[in-house]
Amino acid sequence: MTSSGRRSDVLRVQSISKSFGGLKAVQDFSLTLCEGDLKGLIGPNGAGKTTVFNLLTGVYKPDSGAISLSDAEVAGLRPNQICRQGMARTFQNIRLFGELPVLDNVRLGTHVRAHQTLLGAAMRSPFSVGEERAMTARARDLLAFFGLEGRAEEQARNLPYGDQRKLEIARALATSPKVLLLDEPAAGMNSGEKVALRDLIRRVQTTFGVTILLIEHDMGLVMDICQRITVIDYGVTIAEGPPEAIQNDPKVIEAYLGAPDEPSVEQGVARA
Amino acid sequence: MLPLLIGLVFAAVMQLVVKPNIGDYPAKLVLDIGIAISLAVSLTMVNGFTGQFSMGHAGFLAVGGYAAGIVTYYGSQRIWGDRATHGGILSGRPLAIDPATLPLVGHGDWLFLAALVVGGLVAALLGFLVGLPSLRLKGDYLAIVTLGFGEIVRVMIQQTNATLKPQDIAWEEVYPALPRPAGVEAVASYAFDVIDPATKLGRTVYQAVSDTPAWDVLTHVGGSLGFTGIPKYTSLFWVYIVASITIFAAFRLKQSTFGRAFLSIREDEVAAEAMGVNTTRYKVWAFVISAFFAGVAGGLFAHTLGVGLSAETAGFLKSFDIIIMVVLGGLGSISGAVIAAVVVTVLPEALRDIPQYRLIIYALALILIMIFRPKGLLGTHEIWDRAVWKRVRRRGGSEPGKAKGGSSP
Repeated sequence: MTSSGRRSDVLRVQSISKSFGGLKAVQDFSLTLCEGDLKGLIGPNGAGKTTVFNLLTGVYKPDSGAISLSDAEVAGLRPNQICRQGMARTFQNIRLFGELPVLDNVRLGTHVRAHQTLLGAAMRSPFSVGEERAMTARARDLLAFFGLEGRAEEQARNLPYGDQRKLEIARALATSPKVLLLDEPAAGMNSGEKVALRDLIRRVQTTFGVTILLIEHDMGLVMDICQRITVIDYGVTIAEGPPEAIQNDPKVIEAYLGAPDEPSVEQGVARA
Repeated sequence: MLPLLIGLVFAAVMQLVVKPNIGDYPAKLVLDIGIAISLAVSLTMVNGFTGQFSMGHAGFLAVGGYAAGIVTYYGSQRIWGDRATHGGILSGRPLAIDPATLPLVGHGDWLFLAALVVGGLVAALLGFLVGLPSLRLKGDYLAIVTLGFGEIVRVMIQQTNATLKPQDIAWEEVYPALPRPAGVEAVASYAFDVIDPATKLGRTVYQAVSDTPAWDVLTHVGGSLGFTGIPKYTSLFWVYIVASITIFAAFRLKQSTFGRAFLSIREDEVAAEAMGVNTTRYKVWAFVISAFFAGVAGGLFAHTLGVGLSAETAGFLKSFDIIIMVVLGGLGSISGAVIAAVVVTVLPEALRDIPQYRLIIYALALILIMIFRPKGLLGTHEIWDRAVWKRVRRRGGSEPGKAKGGSSP
């Protein structure tokens, strides 16, 4: 953070594009995240939100454009390298290590920061044992933060849905990311759970000091917690700004609800 | 290192106490079980941990066996001038020979140990080469590639020239121009069938083993007739020390952060990579480590009394045997693999009295186990993860998380 209050950029995405055959999934997408930002990425179904995540995390390589994470270029790196650089994500359709205990799911997240060697681990060298202990302690702390400490020994696939979502966030945080990408964390949750999730995301941000980019369909949640929102449709950014501005942006309203001349449209978005 | 010490004591007890008291046939069965355990546990590291389906494990077994066989066969020839076993009590040399002077570990045992390591390393190198395609291939496709690997090894072994096995040939045949030294009757030599360019007739020429360059030795492994005459060093001691080390390594691996990385690849490769796991590197590592232990087990196999090391060792039938053990035990479960190795080795032997139904019952037993326990005997868990043991431990007052780490070998 600079003295003037301007914070440094953590993630700078400069006009990345990606096509699959003739389909332009993402076109000229740009985005800047400053340290401590909580930004929303919204758009109708099929707008290319998850493709943006996949481009940022290295699942896909962008056809053009640049992605810099803390001033290091990461476009074109493999997902595990990008994770090491400090970007972690959750998945829209939960991808936990189902057969493994909850604790091991989180401990796996700490692996990317491990310094021990295979031989050291096999011989249980003091360093390896110490590191292993630190990993376990960190994983247990994270589980406690998410209220999952009582389920540490259970298989991840046996957790209730909401807890699986939390576990994914815990696992991502275990990689000590600078930027956390959340892909529809509220999907499939009821309104009570959504309220809890909103508080949780805020707590995550203040506690771990991560910068968050959030994909979410639930407008209430996005408008509530995000400082700024980017809206994309058909792979193109159609609006960017604070929630109030987005809510009243005619292009956004059109993208979501079609015909702009129907009188109920604006109200509908505002209520949502 | 305590678990290794326990393994050492256990292996010595097997050789010195158990073997003399159970008779030759059961002892051979116990020996086969030990080798099967090493093979099953080593395959668990690939098929069970990383979820890559390898069907060429017998290829590593054969390569390790042949490499180790070459070391002891030719090493023994060069060092002692014969191919007898020069081991000690622990490698099962009969006490009747020279009970007073026989050491616990003979000079030959060190050669054997070196041979096992060489077998493991050669297999590991091949494991690296086979692991490379696993970076691009998944599931059935990888299975076919690894199956092909086993077959390549089998065919290549078969193509080594069978007539090149060394025989004791009269001095005059080998060195027609040299005078025969006193006391020397025969020379261990390879026979080459060559066609005389002048007469167009085939004739046999001989080359003494001692004159054969080292690199050429690799082709002298018996071809389709099999590699016979390897000194028989394998004993219950060696088998169970290797089995102990294999199990120990597998557990240490599984409980380390690397083991979790291996398992995460099996569970969800995309998520593992997104969480920073270098899936490429670990998949190759899994193949290398697994092949190493399979190669060492192959060395044991090659030096077993009554075993004919041949090209068929690398065949897919042998690979299937090992896969059956891993799947039966539960993918990823080390204790499951050990139990299944015992079951799969003992079951056909136990049914020997009813030979006509043997294979039917064996197959039926496998089918029934898979119907009632579709994830294998233990699923992905270890035996002490089962509810019964957990309850026992809870009563003991230990915390389950702690106990898991504490029960490691």
